[in-house]
This record gives sequence, structure tokens and C-alpha cells, in this order.
Amino acid sequence: MTRVLAVWCPDWPVTAVGVDAGTAGAAVVQGRIAACSAAARAEGVRRGQKLRDAQRRCPGLVVRERDTDAEGRLFEAVVEAVAELAPRVEVVRPGLCAIAARGPARFYGGEEALRVLVQDTVVEAGHDCGSGIADGLFAAELAARAGQGGVVVPEGGAAAFLAPYPLSVLDRPELADLLARLGVRTLGAFADLPSGHVAGRFGTDGALAHRLARGEEPRPIAPVRAAADLSVRAAFDPPAEHAEQVVFAAKRLADELHAGLAAGGLSCVRLEVEAGFADGHVLRRLWRHDGRLSSLAVAERVRWQLSAWRDGRPAAGTDPEGIEAPAEEEAVWGGVTWLELAPDQLVPDGGRQEALWGRTAVTDRIARAADRIQGLLGHGAITRPVLAGGRGPGEQVVRVPVGDLPPANLPDGPWPGRLTAPAPAVVPVAAPEARLLDADGEPVVVSARCAVSAPPAALLVGGRPAAVTGWTGPWPADERWWDPEKARRRARFQVVTETGAAYLLAVEHGHWHVEATYD
Amino acid sequence: MPEAALRDLARSLEHASAPPARAVPVLHALRPVVPGGLRPGSAVGLDGPGAASLALALVAGVSRHGGADGEGGWCGIVGVPSFGVVAAAGMGAEPERLLLVDDPGDRWPDVVAALAEAVELVLLCPPERPGAAAVRRLSALARKHGCVLTLTGPFARDWPGVRLRLRLDAVAWEGVGDGHGRLRGRRARVVAEGRDAPGRGRRADLWLPAADGGVRPAEPVRPPLEIVPPAAVRDGAPVHTRRDGAPAAVRALPAQAMDPAHAGGKGIA
Repeated sequence: MTRVLAVWCPDWPVTAVGVDAGTAGAAVVQGRIAACSAAARAEGVRRGQKLRDAQRRCPGLVVRERDTDAEGRLFEAVVEAVAELAPRVEVVRPGLCAIAARGPARFYGGEEALRVLVQDTVVEAGHDCGSGIADGLFAAELAARAGQGGVVVPEGGAAAFLAPYPLSVLDRPELADLLARLGVRTLGAFADLPSGHVAGRFGTDGALAHRLARGEEPRPIAPVRAAADLSVRAAFDPPAEHAEQVVFAAKRLADELHAGLAAGGLSCVRLEVEAGFADGHVLRRLWRHDGRLSSLAVAERVRWQLSAWRDGRPAAGTDPEGIEAPAEEEAVWGGVTWLELAPDQLVPDGGRQEALWGRTAVTDRIARAADRIQGLLGHGAITRPVLAGGRGPGEQVVRVPVGDLPPANLPDGPWPGRLTAPAPAVVPVAAPEARLLDADGEPVVVSARCAVSAPPAALLVGGRPAAVTGWTGPWPADERWWDPEKARRRARFQVVTETGAAYLLAVEHGHWHVEATYD
Repeated sequence: MPEAALRDLARSLEHASAPPARAVPVLHALRPVVPGGLRPGSAVGLDGPGAASLALALVAGVSRHGGADGEGGWCGIVGVPSFGVVAAAGMGAEPERLLLVDDPGDRWPDVVAALAEAVELVLLCPPERPGAAAVRRLSALARKHGCVLTLTGPFARDWPGVRLRLRLDAVAWEGVGDGHGRLRGRRARVVAEGRDAPGRGRRADLWLPAADGGVRPAEPVRPPLEIVPPAAVRDGAPVHTRRDGAPAAVRALPAQAMDPAHAGGKGIA
């Protein structure tokens, strides 16, 4: 059995959104508590509760939307602190990381000494944590959560340590529910079942859970060893003077990288891009991405990195293009001599949808054309629209750069007050100002109770007045009233003028805008 | 000249002169003004009020005819950041087969050149007066690849070689009253002029858009009828007698109240 040291930071999703343990706070996902702080737990807030129930138990609850990006980002500090003591840290998930304990324990003078040292180091880095050592990752995680800041479970004692835990720690609710109805309520009782029968009745996953319960390992600890093998590198001789050359090479490298990852059944959620210059400077940046990074997206990130380098220099005449620099400016760093892409955070490929183009497959011709335009104008310049939920005509469309996956969590739901068909043909990006006047030439005002001061008689758009021949409204749209920063309160009107044009007007804080035109 | 060479020459001439395979499809309701579809490789000009809706209708016509495997039906939209995607979808467009380049800047000729090789229709709003060289290059590319260039915006009229111009005439929005109702649709007459619509051009009355957002042929406006007592019929007015001999109970409204196009029409329905 491998000895594993696990470092566990309590309530990490809450910490990551900036709530400390002393404050009653919670991170929510879709109206349910995903994690809560210790103070909130003392008030009776539980994971999976509805936000409404949680707020009833703890009225002063600080509620934040869960931010998985921030969790990963912030956890890097913890990982770095642990990596100071022992290399090859495995990040199990943000909030939990592990190292193989045997070597470091010998170096630092015993397992208990190592455990305390790791804990102190992380606490010094500014994060509360528990650390525990046991056989296997599963037992080590529970050991880190046990007692005051974790315990050391002696070698071979994992089964005894695990025995009193309830089945819920296996994180398999269906299995736990079924076993509870069979009268099996603790890991010890589950471990006592004959393994052959468990495998026969509950399948692979059940057998795996059974191995966990008996204190055996489902899999050996896997530090990020593969990274060095999978990294790809290109050299430029003579040094590449133009960023375009480097970006093209990056695209090819990214394809190679993906082929290597796919062969290993892995996908990479963080990528390290290193560029070396002729005079020995090295630019190194880590890029994180929500989904799988397409090769185009990788190339784009290389371009950003190079342009950021150019912006950062105290060069006299940096052109806004940021790329094609004159030769004498390049001479400062001597051009790019090599470029390396290293996958930094690998996860097993869970079988994401492979077609990066949504439902409709894309032909090579389209991909080539999009490629050329992205080379000219940048990754985000050519987009495909995706229809999403929303009330206004502009909110119902999300533009996704070609080559990227559409966002996964598009808002959905009933939209009371949504504009009815037909939709307007012209939806300006920035709504132009307008003025709506009544018969006396006074601006039309809409009261808080949606009463219109006088029927509109004339509409001024861009300085040209036109008589109003038909109008309807107001249609109030009171959005996100619970969030003072994002709240918007508008009233919409449809107005037809004597020229035969129809407008969708919106009044907000007394100002009229042309939200869209029915051209 | 040897016979084989002659045959080759004939084949190459045939190849050069024959129009590319098939016309670019349009919406069913637009067939009266663009019979058979748009000529591949041609330029279409849109201007005046309603140009945006016509652009949406043309894009929808192309986009809805694509195959499920991604073959065909792609449209590029260059320099039109205010393109109403929801309205286009309402007319039948598939949003996933639209490629939007909102801000091409001064590289618009290169963007259009790249798209012309791949898509069937490019909707272009030139951000500046198009230069002769750019027009020549893009027109040649469009002809070669059978892509329809659709011009809109203030410089659409400056594009030489436009074979078909579409505009809206006699538009009337319906559904909005004085403080009540909602926009339900627009009656419009689509007018096609230019070399591809010779003579006085072609016209069609359409709902653009109809109440559900689609495009539909509009029935001609009938003169509204009014119920009148028999005594109120003026002397000399055309009165159709009923079969049983009694005078008619309805009459048409006076001519000036009617749509001028139909004022001289049938009178009583």
C-alpha cells in the first residue's frame, strides 16, 4: 500500500468566493447550497439545501454564486506551498491535494512530523487546512478531515479507521440508500460483505466502493508525471521575427498535443506556453480553459502572450496591431527561438462532445475560411450565433467564436414579459438615444406605477422628428431586482411613425433609447 | 484542327459559359419577385427602408436549405453588427449556419474574399466607398465560387454590376393602436428591379414579417364593406339587385377611402 498524505482545505468553495470561516456564508449553484462555512453550518445550513430554507435558518447568510474558476486559481497557492516541501503534488480537486508520503516522511523525520509541517506550511500560506496520512487516498482524505486538523492512520489500520464512518462518505447516494435498506449502515459493515457478491450485485462501481470501504486502493496515486512526456516543442532557426510564424507553429503544435493527449485518454484543462527568445529570455504563462482547448484557441493564446509581451516593453512606437514589429525593435530580444506547449493539468477525458461546432457539422471549406479570418482579425472576430433565453431582442443571442464550444449554462426558463414575435430586424449593439415628445412638446414620462404622462406625439431619433401614428406600451421589465449591481428597470414601447418605420423604445431612468428597429 | 482538340475546346467553352449548378434558393414567398432563386455569383443591392428585413429574408432563404451534414446553406454576414438573429430565425434561418463578422474594419475585402469561397451568400455592409479594385476582385471571386453578394448600407448604391435591386414599397405596420395592441406584422410590396428583373420589374405583396415572424404572401386589400339601409343609396350609384328583386343591403365605401390600387376594382364583393 502507498502511504498518502492528503491536504484538505475545509469549505473551499466558500473560501474561494471570499467568505472566511467565521462568517456565515454559502456558495450556491442554481438556488441550492453547494458549500457553506463553519459558522453557517452551526446555524443549521446544510449542503444541498434550498437557498430559501438556508436563509430561513440563518437570516444573515452571505450568499455568493459558486465560482469554480476562482476555486482552482486560489488553490494554486496551497499547492505551491505543499510543493515547497515535497514535489509532485496531485490536485484531486480544488480544496484537496495529495502527495506520496513515504519519502518525505523519511526526510522530515516521521509521519506525524511531516503531517504537522505540511499543515503549518499551508496555514502560513494563509489557508486553514487539515492534513492526514493513511493508506490510500480515500482513507487519507478522511484522516485529514478527522480530529483537530487531521490524524495519522498507522499502516494497515485503514480498514479499522474507516469502519465507523457512514456510507455517505463514499459519495454514492444511490448505493448508500440501497445498502441502508439492506441494513448496512457503516463502511465496516459494507466491508464485511463478501467481495464476490458485492461485485455480482452492484457491478464495477459497487466493487470499487467495496475496495474503498476495505481500505484498499481503487487506483494508485497519479502525480502529474505525464506532463513532461506530452509537451511539444518547436524550434525556430533563424529566430522567428514575426508573431505570425510563431502562431502558425503553435497551431501545429496544438494539434500534435491533442493527438498525444487523445492517445492517452486525457484532456488538458490548463496549458503552459513557454516561448524562448534569442537572448535567453523566456516568457512563461499558464492558460486555463473551461472546456478542451481547441488548437485555434491555443494559437490565439500564444498570440495574446506575445502581444502582451510587446505591450509590456517600454518600446517607443508600439503599433496597435501589436504583432508585426519592425526589425530594429525585435532586435531587443532577438526573436523567438523556441516554443513549447506543456499540458499542465490533466484530467481523464470524460468524453466531451468532439464536434466543436455544435449540432451542424462544419465542412472543411467553412473551417478554412474561418481560419483565415481569425488569422486576420483575431479569434473572436468571426462568431456563430446561439439562441438563448432572455426578454429583450439583444439578450436572446449569444455569439460564440468559431471553434469554441457554446457556453454550457445558457439561461433557460419562462421569460414573463418577453417580446412577442415578430422580432425586430435591426438590433443595434449600443442603443442610440431618442426623445419621445407629447403633443405639447414635453418629454413623455413613465411613472413608477407605469402610468404614461401623455400620449406620445413625436419621436426624435438622431435629431429628425417624426409624428407618431401608433404606439403601445409601457411593458415593464424589472430584471435582477434582487441584485443591486445588476438590477435593471425598464419600460418598453412599440412606436410607429408617419414614415412607416416601427421602433422598439425603452425608457430607463428617464432616458429613452431605441432598443431595436423593425426595419 | 484535330477532332480531339476541338472536342476539348468545346467542352471548356461549355464549362465556361454554363452557369454554376443551381440557383441560390430564396424563401417561398419571395419566388414571385425572384423566380427560381438568385443567380449564383451575382450581386444584389438592397436599399431604402426595409433593407434590413429583406436582408434577413434572403439570408433565411439560403440558410434554411442547408443539409444536416453541414453541406450548403451557409451565410456570411460582414459589417452588420445589428443583424437581428432572432428575426432571421423567425423567418426560417438556422442560426448555426450563420457566420458573423461584426467589425471587419478596413480588412473587409479580405474577409469577404475568404467567405466568398466557402458560403453561398455574403451579406455585406461596406464600411467605406468600395474601391474599383476591391469590387473587381470580389465580383470575380463571387462569380467563380457561385456566391451571391448582397449589398446593404449607405454605400450599396456605389457597387457597380448589381443585377438585381430589391426594395420595399407601400409599407404599413399593423396591430398597434393608440396606446394598445402590439405589432403583428407589416404589409409591404417588394419591388425587384434591374437586369435580372427586366422591364418594369416584379412586384409582390407580402407580409414581411407576418404575425409569427415568418414571410408570407399577403392577400390583396379588399375595399371594406359597409351595411346601409336601402334608402341611403344615392341615385345613380351602382346597386346590384338581389335575386329576389330587393335592393342590395351593402355598398362599397367612396373611392377616396379605398386603397388607390383597388379603387377601380370590383366594387361590391
